[in-house]
Amino acid sequence: MSPTALQSVARATGLLARLALWVAAIGLVAMTAMIACQVFWRYVLNDSIIWTEPASVMVMGWFIFLGAAVGIREGYHLSFDVLLYFLPDSVVPWLHSLSDIAVGAFGLGMIWFGTELAVKTGGNMIPSLGISGAFDFIPIVAGGVLVVLFSAERIVRRAAGLETARFGEEADLD
Amino acid sequence: MELWVLFGTFTFLLLIGTPVAFCLGVSSFATIAFLGLPPVVVFQRLNSGVSVFALMAIPFFIYAGDLMVRGDIARRLVALAGAFVGHFRGGLGQVNVLSSVMFGGVSGSAAADASAVGGLMVPQMKERGYDVDYAVNITVVSSIIALLLPPSHNMIIYSIAAGGRISIADLFTAGILPGLLLALALMITSWYVAMRKGYPVQPFQGFRIIGTLFVSAAPGLILVAIIFGGVRSGIFTASESSNIAVVYALFVTFFVYRTLSFEDFKAATFAAVRTTAMVLLVIGSAAAFGWLLAYTRVPASMVELLQGLSDNPIVILLLLNVVLLILGTFMDMSPLIVITTPIFLPVATAFGVDPVHFGVILILNLGIGLCTPPVGAVLFVGCAVGRIPIWDAVRTIWPFYGAAVAVLLAVTYIPGLSLWLPQLFR
Repeated sequence: MSPTALQSVARATGLLARLALWVAAIGLVAMTAMIACQVFWRYVLNDSIIWTEPASVMVMGWFIFLGAAVGIREGYHLSFDVLLYFLPDSVVPWLHSLSDIAVGAFGLGMIWFGTELAVKTGGNMIPSLGISGAFDFIPIVAGGVLVVLFSAERIVRRAAGLETARFGEEADLD
Repeated sequence: MELWVLFGTFTFLLLIGTPVAFCLGVSSFATIAFLGLPPVVVFQRLNSGVSVFALMAIPFFIYAGDLMVRGDIARRLVALAGAFVGHFRGGLGQVNVLSSVMFGGVSGSAAADASAVGGLMVPQMKERGYDVDYAVNITVVSSIIALLLPPSHNMIIYSIAAGGRISIADLFTAGILPGLLLALALMITSWYVAMRKGYPVQPFQGFRIIGTLFVSAAPGLILVAIIFGGVRSGIFTASESSNIAVVYALFVTFFVYRTLSFEDFKAATFAAVRTTAMVLLVIGSAAAFGWLLAYTRVPASMVELLQGLSDNPIVILLLLNVVLLILGTFMDMSPLIVITTPIFLPVATAFGVDPVHFGVILILNLGIGLCTPPVGAVLFVGCAVGRIPIWDAVRTIWPFYGAAVAVLLAVTYIPGLSLWLPQLFR
């Protein structure tokens, strides 16, 4: 792909990453609100809400998998790449790409096996929420899609000689 | 052989810079495939690993800490600490330590403590003629205190990594005396270093100022009482009390102090999302990794191996501490807690160490690892705040490392330091 084509790809994935981050942030605020209601109802109104706990755990799934997927693109994951400082510069990009392939493959697993689990539990009902058990596995599938997408983008950008975020450092991607 | 696949893949990916969460996930996947088990197990474990209500305390405590830094609660606590101990020898060094005690009592994140307290104290210390390396050293090492004093989300990670059977209230209480002991040791060290370097002394500000600053900082201090009192008395779960911390921090900064703008709120929310999504994914994939460790009987073999080496608990604890310190210099705290707990906790309990006591040893030990190169998140934050190279900070940090290791040894070999207070509350 030409650098200009890659720039428009970066704009699209950048938008997607921002959207995912917003969903995750709204999820965090929603979790806060739900548990706050649970506490208020239980200790002040002496009444218990049964759906807030399972619902907030499900929202947490969205928040974790989307937030962590964006971390692939922006480079805010915990990592330890000390070895790479001792290797010749010509080898390093290959190892970075190998790492991205491993991450992307795991993302494919999240999609494939997450879907398998969703299909298997689709017939069950989550008692306190009254929705299909498949909902428990949608976040891992959605996160997987983003992980694959962002890893692929990193590999293609690196091959074209453009900058990618090194984990633990800031990068200018747009 | 399957252990070679598990640890080999993990180490290789780690060394080429793969994010830790994916090192854990991919190596588990490879091992499951090697063993011929259905790979869906990995993703089932990953999903159930992050669907735990107790985990919610982690994003909430980190979120609350972020709000407190941006909403001026942290600055007021530092000002109060200044009025208390600023007139001691090496005054601002003492203030730095006491600030970590107060801020640690509301936040529990060492990196947040280093950036909040360091951001306020290091420039002041520079201005008053302290060496920058001294300011950075004391900022970095004293932020370990935040890990030990409640609320510490790392204690929650430990409790979850240990299978959720260890009481979070007990762990919170157990960290208090070791945290205060560390504060004392660091205050003595900074006094000693300040005396040798001839650093200045601030005049005492007077009781009236202390009173005013106390009132101004009181909402922050009340939070400590709510969190600790709630969890300890069993009224709230840790997740609920962490939620109250967020709501309370929002209330104080929006309505009482009126210091938090909507932009600050947005920034705090995004910062909390970035930090915690990553930490929680590590915990989720460690659930898959931990399942494989148990399946391949690694913890049991480790116990047998160490029992063959020595039957003396003193030697074994020393050995565990040395191994953890070495691992801690290379890796971050939360992944290490989730990886090492299932392996080392059975060893510790086999030698008669209480799981609560071991938790405090683990947190303090790995906390020291956060302050050591080559990988030390808190050291990096401190050096960034002070704008000095890591080497400059490390050259003069030894007395502070020494104090922290001395406290680690005391905590390791005097179980009462950790266990006396929780027993008192039972």
